[in-house]
Amino acid sequence: MDWKRFDSLRSTAGPIELDLVEAYAQNRIGRRDFVKRGTIIGLSAPFMGAIIAACGSSSDGEAAAEPTAAADSGGSTDAEPTSAPAAAETTSGGNLIVGNQFGDANSGLDPVAMLDLGTYNIISQTFEYLVGLGADGNISDNALATGWSPNGDGSQWTFDLRDDAVWRDGSPLTSADVAATMDRMVEFGNSGLAGVIEAGSVDSSDPSKAVISLVEPNGNFPVLVSIFNPQSCITRADYSSGTTLNERDEGTGAWMLESFDPSTFDAKFVPNPNWWGGSTILDSLELRGFADIGTAVTAMSSRSIDVIQNFSVIGGEGLLDDAAFSVLTPPSSNHRQVWFNVQEGDFATSNLVRQALGWCLDREQMVSTLFSGRAEIGNDHPILSSLPFFDADATPQRTRDIDMAKSLMAEAGVDEVNATFTCGDLGEVPDLANIIRANAAEAGINLTVDVQSNSTFYGNSWCPGPSETDPTQPCAGSGSVGAVDYGHRPIPDIFLSSALSTGGVWNSSNYASDTFDGLLSDYRTAPDVASQKTAIGAIQKLMHEDQPALYPYFFNFLAGHDENVSGIQATALGHIVTSKASKA
Amino acid sequence: MLRYIARRLALSLITLFLILLIVFSLTRVFPSEPARQLAGPFASEERVEQLTENLGLDDPLPTQFGRLVRDVVTLDFGESFSQPGVRVLDLIRPALWNSAKLVILSLLLVLPISIFGGIMAARKKDTLLDRSIVSFGLASASIPDFVSGVLLQFLIGVKLGWLPAVSNAPDDAGLLTGIKFILLPALAILFVYFGYIARITRAGAIGAFEADYTRTAYMKGMSSSKVIRKHVLRNALQPTVAVTGTQMGYLFGGLIGLEVVFNYNGLGGLIFRAATAPDFPLLQAAVLSVAIIFMLSTLAADLIIAWMNPRARLDLGDD
Amino acid sequence: MSINEPHDPAVEIVDMAAVARAPLEPAIPATDRKSIKRELRRELFRTPSFIVGAVISLFWVACAVAPGIFTKWGESDFVRNSDGASIPRASPRADAWFGTDTIGQDVFARVIYGADNVLITSPIAALIAVLAGAVLGLVMGYFRGWADEILSRVLEAVLSLPVVLLAIMAVVTFGSTRLVLILTIATLFTPVVARTVRSAVLAEAQLDYVTSAKLRGEPALFIMLREIFPNISNILVVEFTVRVGYAIFTVATLSFLGFSVGSASDADWGRDISDTYSLIQAGQWWPAIFPALAIASLVIAINLIADSVDKVYSS
Repeated sequence: MDWKRFDSLRSTAGPIELDLVEAYAQNRIGRRDFVKRGTIIGLSAPFMGAIIAACGSSSDGEAAAEPTAAADSGGSTDAEPTSAPAAAETTSGGNLIVGNQFGDANSGLDPVAMLDLGTYNIISQTFEYLVGLGADGNISDNALATGWSPNGDGSQWTFDLRDDAVWRDGSPLTSADVAATMDRMVEFGNSGLAGVIEAGSVDSSDPSKAVISLVEPNGNFPVLVSIFNPQSCITRADYSSGTTLNERDEGTGAWMLESFDPSTFDAKFVPNPNWWGGSTILDSLELRGFADIGTAVTAMSSRSIDVIQNFSVIGGEGLLDDAAFSVLTPPSSNHRQVWFNVQEGDFATSNLVRQALGWCLDREQMVSTLFSGRAEIGNDHPILSSLPFFDADATPQRTRDIDMAKSLMAEAGVDEVNATFTCGDLGEVPDLANIIRANAAEAGINLTVDVQSNSTFYGNSWCPGPSETDPTQPCAGSGSVGAVDYGHRPIPDIFLSSALSTGGVWNSSNYASDTFDGLLSDYRTAPDVASQKTAIGAIQKLMHEDQPALYPYFFNFLAGHDENVSGIQATALGHIVTSKASKA
Repeated sequence: MLRYIARRLALSLITLFLILLIVFSLTRVFPSEPARQLAGPFASEERVEQLTENLGLDDPLPTQFGRLVRDVVTLDFGESFSQPGVRVLDLIRPALWNSAKLVILSLLLVLPISIFGGIMAARKKDTLLDRSIVSFGLASASIPDFVSGVLLQFLIGVKLGWLPAVSNAPDDAGLLTGIKFILLPALAILFVYFGYIARITRAGAIGAFEADYTRTAYMKGMSSSKVIRKHVLRNALQPTVAVTGTQMGYLFGGLIGLEVVFNYNGLGGLIFRAATAPDFPLLQAAVLSVAIIFMLSTLAADLIIAWMNPRARLDLGDD
Repeated sequence: MSINEPHDPAVEIVDMAAVARAPLEPAIPATDRKSIKRELRRELFRTPSFIVGAVISLFWVACAVAPGIFTKWGESDFVRNSDGASIPRASPRADAWFGTDTIGQDVFARVIYGADNVLITSPIAALIAVLAGAVLGLVMGYFRGWADEILSRVLEAVLSLPVVLLAIMAVVTFGSTRLVLILTIATLFTPVVARTVRSAVLAEAQLDYVTSAKLRGEPALFIMLREIFPNISNILVVEFTVRVGYAIFTVATLSFLGFSVGSASDADWGRDISDTYSLIQAGQWWPAIFPALAIASLVIAINLIADSVDKVYSS
C-alpha cells in the first residue's frame, strides 16, 4: 500500500470522492464496485487506476470475498453488451438493417414523451446523452459530457461539455441546450428526474459547463442523465415540446434521419457529416419495425435483417443455437413487478395475504420455464443482488412454501381469496400469469387471468389515473393484482421512487408509506456505499413486511446480430448503438 | 347495360353512405375517451383536453358527421389522429398498393390452378382423381390462413431458404424480386382458396357437362377440348366469377393474420391498428376503401357474368 | 359472400339451383312432405360423408361435455416428470401425447378441453344468424318494394364491414364475453343468410300455391310462415350447417387476433395457436399445429355434413 502516493491523490478529491476512495482503501468495498461507483460519480479512469495501483494487490483478494455475483449488474454469468470491435481491416460501407420493436403509434418520435423501446432506439441514433455507454455496459464519459464532478455533498453536479458537438446548422452544443432540455423534462414530468431536479436547475452561464443543482443531494445523479434515462437526450434550446424527430431532425449524433414511415415504423438514416466522433463506418442504417417479436426472430434467422434489437428465449432457441449468430446480453435489471392494489380490492385487506402469495411462487419453475435459466430469481424487492448496496442478510431468499402461505392466510383470518389478475400481452407475461395462477391455487388464492391488449392494460388496469381527492392514490382504481414490465436501469432509483413512493407516477400499488419515503430519501442522499446499504437493507425489510408488490425474477435482455457484423453495442433498454458498427 | 351500371353505382352510393354512418356511430358513440387513449396513460389532463379540442371530438355529433361526409366527398381525409402531421391518404396509399400486389399475385396463382383442378375433377367425376382433388381442397381450406402461412414460412422460408421468410422487399426491388418477397403469403392464400374455387368450378362444370348443349356438341363431333373451350367454360365459370368477386373484400381487408406473420404492410393490419389506436380518420378511410373495392368487384363480376351468359343479361335489364 | 370469410361454398350453388328449379316443379302438398322428409333423413344417415362428419363432430361434442374421460391432465396442469420438475415445450411423448406447451401444460389436454368453447359459440351464433336471416329474407323476398331495397342496402353495408373492426368495437364497448362474441358473429352472418333466403323466397313466391293463397285472401304472415317457410326449410338446414363451419373458423381467427373469451389459462384453440405459433420456427411445432388440426378436423366434419345434407335434400 503506497500511502504516500495515495495521500497525494487523496488531497485532490472532494468529500464524496474521498469517502469512496477511503472505503476502497479500507477494503470495505471491492475493486469492481469501486470502479462502478467511481464511474458514476465522475472519477476519471486514470484517477481510479492510480488509486488502485496505490492501494496495491491486497485489495484484489478482498474483492473476491465480496458478495457480488459474477455478473456486473445482470443475471447472466457474463454480461456481453458489446460485440467484438471491428478488426483493423474492415470493409467500410454497407447498409445495416436492425429489426426494431414497433413503437407506440400514438406518441410519435417525441424524445421527451417516448415510452417504448422502438422509439428509444430510433431517437438515440440521432440524439445523444450527457452521459454515455461504456464498453462494459456501465455509464461512461464518451458522450456529450467529457467529465463531471459533484460538490461537497452531492447536491450540485458540474458537467464539462465537449466543445466539438454541433447541431445541424453547425452551431455548437452549449449548456443553454442542456438547461432547456432539463426544463422540458421537468415540465413533462420525466419519471427519472421527478423530485430530483426542478425547473431552472441548470446554470448555463458558462456555455461549456452545465452546473445542475438538485433538490437534495443524490449520489447517483449522472445515471439519471445518461442513456439509461432514455428521455434525457439533449435537444436544442429552441426545440419545443411535442415536436417529433420526423418533423424536425436536430441532433448531435452520428446519424441523420433520412425518412420515417409511420405505418411500417421504418426509419432510414444517413451519416451525419458533422458528427464530433468522426464518421460512421457504414453507409446507411435502417431500423425496421416488427409488430411481432416472433416475426422479427424469423427475419433474423433467415438473415432478412442483420441485427435484432430484442428477442426472448422462448421461440428464440433457433437463434441461440445458430453458430453464425452472436448473442448480446447487456447488463439487465429487467423484471416484472406483480403489484397489489393496497388501498382497495381483494388484496388490500391484509399484508399477510400479500406475503402469502409471495410464498406461493415457484421462482425456479419460472426461471427455467420462461427463460431456460437466463434469469435470476428475485426476492420480492427491486434490488438486484449484484448491486453494491444490496443487503444479502436483511431478507433471506424466499422459496416456495405452501404451508407458510397457508399459515399467513390463517393468521389474517382469510380462507380464500378470489381475484382477477390482469396483465398486458407482452412477452412472457401472460405465461407468468398462468404459472402464478397455478402456484397460488394450492393455498386458496384463486386467480382468474385476464390478458389485455397493451393499450387497454396500461390505461385501464395498471394505472387508470390519479385520484382527484386522495394524493396517496396516483393510480386510483388499478387492478387488485397484476403484472407489469420494468425495463433496465443501472440503479434502482426509479423502481423505488416512481413505482413505490407516495404519489409516484408508476405507483400502481397506491402504496403510501412515510417510512418508505424516508428510507428512499436516506438512500438517495447517502454519501457512501455503506450508508446506501443501510437504507436499502431497511427498504428490503419493509418491502417484505408491507408487501406492496412481488418481484419474481430479473431476466436477461437478449439482443444479437449476424456474425458478419461488428462494433454493435446494446442496452437492456432497447438501444442499439451503431455509430462504429461495420458489416463484412 | 349502361342503365344497369348507372343504377348499380347509384345504389352503391347509398350503401357507402350507410357504411359511413355505421362506422361513424361505432367509433363516436361507444368507446369512451379516444383522446385519452391517443395521448397515452401518462399525459396530463390538460393535454387530453387540448387534444380533444384539436381533433374536434367535442363538437356535436351531427357536425362531426357532416365533416366526415365532406372529407369523403372531397377525398381529403385529413390527418391521422395517431400520427400527427401525417395525411391519412399517405398512410392508406402504400397499404392499398401492397394489398393489391398480393391480391394480383394470389389470383394469378389461385384462378388457373383451381379452375383447372375443378374442371379436371368434373370431367373425371367420381374417380380417384376427382375425390382426391375434392378431399385435398376440403382439407387445405379448413386450415386457418395464418397457420398455413406460418408453416410455409418455416418450411420454405427458414428451413429451406428458397424464398424470403419475411415480406419486406427493398425499395428498389424489381418485378421479379418483388414477386419473390410476396410469394409465400400468396401460396398461403392459394391453400385457403384452392378447395373453395375448385369445388365451385367443379359444380358448375358438372352442370355444364351434363347439359343438353354439351351433349349436342359432342354428338356433332366436336373434340372434347373444343367442347370445353366453347361451351363448358363459359357456363361453368359463372359461379366462379361471382364468388371471386365477392371475395375481393376479404382479400384486401381481411388478411390481417398473414400480414402479421409476414410483416407485410397491408390494409388488414392498417384497419386493425386504426381500430385499436383509435384513429378515426384513418379507420374511416380504410374501411371505405375496402367497401368500395368490394362493391366495384361485385359489379365487375356481374358484368363479366353477363358477358359470358347472354341470358343473364336479361336480368340486368338489358334491352 | 362477405368480406369476412374466405369460404362460401354451397350458397351460390343453392341459389342458382333454386332459381333453375322453380319454374319447372310444382309445389309439394303438405301431407306428402312429412313422409318425404323421413325418407330423405334415412338416406342422409346412409351417406358415407355424412357418417364421417357426424362421427368426428360427435367426438368433439363428447370432448366438450366430458373432457375428463379423454385425458387425465387438466387443461392448466403442469406436466411434471418423475422428480417433480415441469417440462415445458417437450415434444410428444408417452405421458404427453401431443407434447407440452410454452409453460408445460399438456397440449392434448388443452385440445380436448378447448372443444367446448368453440362448440358452444359457433352453433348458437349460426342459429341466431339463420333465424334472423330467415326473417329478413322472407320479408324482403315476399314484400319486395321499398322494404326490400332499404334492407338490401343495409345488409350490403353490414357485409362490407371487416369482422375485425366489428369485433374490436363490440369488445371495447361491451367487454369480451361469450355473448358479445356470439352476437358479433351472428350479426356478420345474418346478411349472408338473408340474401340466400331472399333468392329462394323470390323463386317460391312466383309459384302457383302462393298465388292461390293470395287470391284466397290469406294474410301475408300466414303465407310466409305456413306456406313458404316449410318449402325453404331445406335451404335453412344447409345454411345452418354451412354457417356453423364458418363460425368455427371465425371464432378461431378472432381468438388468434386477441378476442378470446374467458381466462387466459382456459384452453382455447385459437388463442393457443396465437400464443405458440412463433415456436414453430424454433422447431417446436406441436403446441400450435395440434389445435390447428383440431380446428381443421371440426371444420371438415361440419362441411362434410353440410355437403351431404345439401346433396340429399336437393335431389
